[in-house]
Amino acid sequence: MIRVEQLRKKFGTVTAVSGVSFTAENGAITGLLGPNGAGKTTTLRMLYAVMRPDSGSIRVDDVDAIADPHEAQGRLGVLPDGFGLYPRLTAREHLEYFGELHGISGGQLRQRTKELLDLLDMNAIADRRTAGFSHGERTKVALARALVHSPQNVLLDEPTNGLDVMSTRAVRTIVRRLKEEGRCVLFSSHVMQEVSALCDAIVVIAHGRVVARGTPDDLRKHTGHDNLEDAFVALASVEHGAHE
Amino acid sequence: MTVGRSLRQIAIVIRKEIKDSLRDRRALWSIVFSVSIGPVIIGFMMNRVADRQRETEQVRVPVVGMQYAPALVEWLRQQSGVIVVEGPQDPEEAVRNQEEELTIIIPKNFVEKFNQSRPALLQIVADSSRNDARPTVERVRRLLQQYGAEIGSLRLIARGVSPAAARPIDLEDIEVSTAQQRAAQILTFIPMFIIMAGFVGGMGIATDSTAGERERGSLEPLLVNPAPRLVFVGGKWLAAAVIAMASTALTTVLCAILPRFLPLEEMGIRFRIGPEHMTGIIAAALPMCLFSAALQSAVATLARSFKEAQSYMGVLVLLPMIPGVMGALYPIGNAPWMYATPVLGPYVLLTNVLGGQTPSINAFLTSAGISLVAAAILVRITSTLFESEKIIFAR
Repeated sequence: MIRVEQLRKKFGTVTAVSGVSFTAENGAITGLLGPNGAGKTTTLRMLYAVMRPDSGSIRVDDVDAIADPHEAQGRLGVLPDGFGLYPRLTAREHLEYFGELHGISGGQLRQRTKELLDLLDMNAIADRRTAGFSHGERTKVALARALVHSPQNVLLDEPTNGLDVMSTRAVRTIVRRLKEEGRCVLFSSHVMQEVSALCDAIVVIAHGRVVARGTPDDLRKHTGHDNLEDAFVALASVEHGAHE
Repeated sequence: MTVGRSLRQIAIVIRKEIKDSLRDRRALWSIVFSVSIGPVIIGFMMNRVADRQRETEQVRVPVVGMQYAPALVEWLRQQSGVIVVEGPQDPEEAVRNQEEELTIIIPKNFVEKFNQSRPALLQIVADSSRNDARPTVERVRRLLQQYGAEIGSLRLIARGVSPAAARPIDLEDIEVSTAQQRAAQILTFIPMFIIMAGFVGGMGIATDSTAGERERGSLEPLLVNPAPRLVFVGGKWLAAAVIAMASTALTTVLCAILPRFLPLEEMGIRFRIGPEHMTGIIAAALPMCLFSAALQSAVATLARSFKEAQSYMGVLVLLPMIPGVMGALYPIGNAPWMYATPVLGPYVLLTNVLGGQTPSINAFLTSAGISLVAAAILVRITSTLFESEKIIFAR
C-alpha cells in the first residue's frame, strides 16, 4: 500500500507538484491520470526515492520512504518513464543484475527469472543481447527486471506508451495478475480509455495537484459528463485551485 | 542497511560493469592497441638507434685525391671498420644531396707540405645540419686527428724530444652512471607509457558507467535499487580501476618482453625488467590506477553528455605525459614532495625502479597513500554528485 500526503516539489521557480495526496490500496490498480506535464512523473520519482520532495510524506507499506528510502525501494518494483537497458547484456542478465542488487541469488533467482520469462513470453529473446530489441521487447525486459524481487508495490510510469496492441495486452495482463496476487499497482497514463478499462481507482492530476479522485463512475458523476473523456478534459482544464 | 550487504552490492556492480565492458569488443581492442603502441614505439626507436650505431662502426670514407697521400690512405684502411672508397667527382654536391655523409679531400700539395713538416691541409666536406651523419663525421675527424698525433709524435722522437712534452694535458672521461641508469635514460618513456596505460584502460568504463549510463536512461532504473549512491559509485570506480590495472599490467609485460628483441647488448646497454622489478612496478603503478579511475569517474559524471565526457577523458590522458616529457628534457630528481604528488609520485618511483635503484618503502607508501586518499576524496565527490537530481536527470 502506498500513502502520499501533501507532496510538494519545486524546480527553481516552477512548481511541479503542489500538494498531492492519495492512497493506492493493496489488491487494486490505481491510475494516475493527467495530461503531459501535470506532475505524474515527478510524483512517481519522489515515490521511488530518486527525487526528494520539498515537503509532504510518503509511506510504502508503513515505511517512511523519505526517512528510509532504501527500505521503501526494496518494497517497490518500478518501471520508470523513458527507462534504458544495457545493450550488451542479455534480457536474462538484466533480471539477474537487479535481482542480485535486491539480495536474491542462486536457485531462488534462477527460479524467479524463469517464472518472469515464461509469464512475459520472453524465452525466445532471453539470452539475446538487448541491443536490437523492439520497443515492445525492451518494455518487457524493463517490466520483468522491475518485478524480479516480487515487490508488494508496483509503480509503472506510462508503461504502454508507444507499444503495439500485442505488447499493450501483455502489459495489461501482468497488471491484472499483480492485482489478483493482492499487490498494490500504481500506474500513470494520459490515456483515458486505458485507465478506465484497467483501474479500480483513478487519481486525476493537473497542474501539479489532484483535481479529482474516485472510481470511473464517481468521476462521471462528479463532472456531470457521461463520457469519461469529456470528464477528463473538464477536469484537466480546471484553473489552478478553482476546483477542490 | 548493513555494511556486508553494501559490500556484496558493490561486488555485483563491479562484476556487471566489467562483464559489460569486456563485451564492448571495439573499446577493448582500442585499449589493447593504445597500451601496446608505447612499447612498440620504444622498440622501433631503439632499433633505429642500434642501426645508426652499427652504421657508425662500419664507416664508409670517400676520399678525393688518394694518390696525393698514399700513406694516410693506407693507415685509414688498416683501422677497423673503415672502408676507404674513391670520392665523388663533386664532393660538395654529393654531400649536399646526401649521397655521401662526408668526403675527405686531399689537396695536391699535401705531400709537399707534409715532407716539409709544415701543416698539411685536409678538408672534410660535411653537412652539420644532418644529425644522422654527425657520429660518422665525428669518428672520421677523430681518426684523422689520431693520425696527425701519431705522425707528430714520430717527428718529435726523430728530433730527440719526448712526445709527452707536446701533450701538456691528458683527458679521460669517467662515466658515473651505471649501465642500468643509462638504459633508463634512453627508455625514459617506459614509465610514462605504464602510467598512461592506467589512464587509457579506465576511461572506457569511467565514461560508459556514468555519463553513458545516464544518457542511455539506465541510470534511473539502477538507482531505484535499494542501495546508497556510494555503492553504485564505488562499484563503477573499482570496475574502472580493475581494467586500468589490467592495462597497466599488459604494458608492463610488453615492456618486459620487448628488450629481448632489441640489440641492447650490442649498444652497451644492459636493460631488463625481471621479477625483482615487477614488485616495484606493481607497488608504484597499481595504486595510481585507483586514483586515475576515481578522477575519470568524477569528471565524466560532471560532463553534460557522453560526448563531452569522452573529450574530457582525452584531456586527462595528457596528464601522465607532463612528467614524462619533463623527465625526458630534465633529469628528474627524487625530492620528497614528488612522492606526495599523484601521478608524479608513481612516475618517479617507476623511473627509479627501472633505473636499477630501490626507492625506500616510505616512498612507496607515501605515493600509494596519496593516491588512495585522493581517490577516496574523488569517489566521495562523485557520490555526492549522484545524490544531485540535476546530475541524475541532466539528460
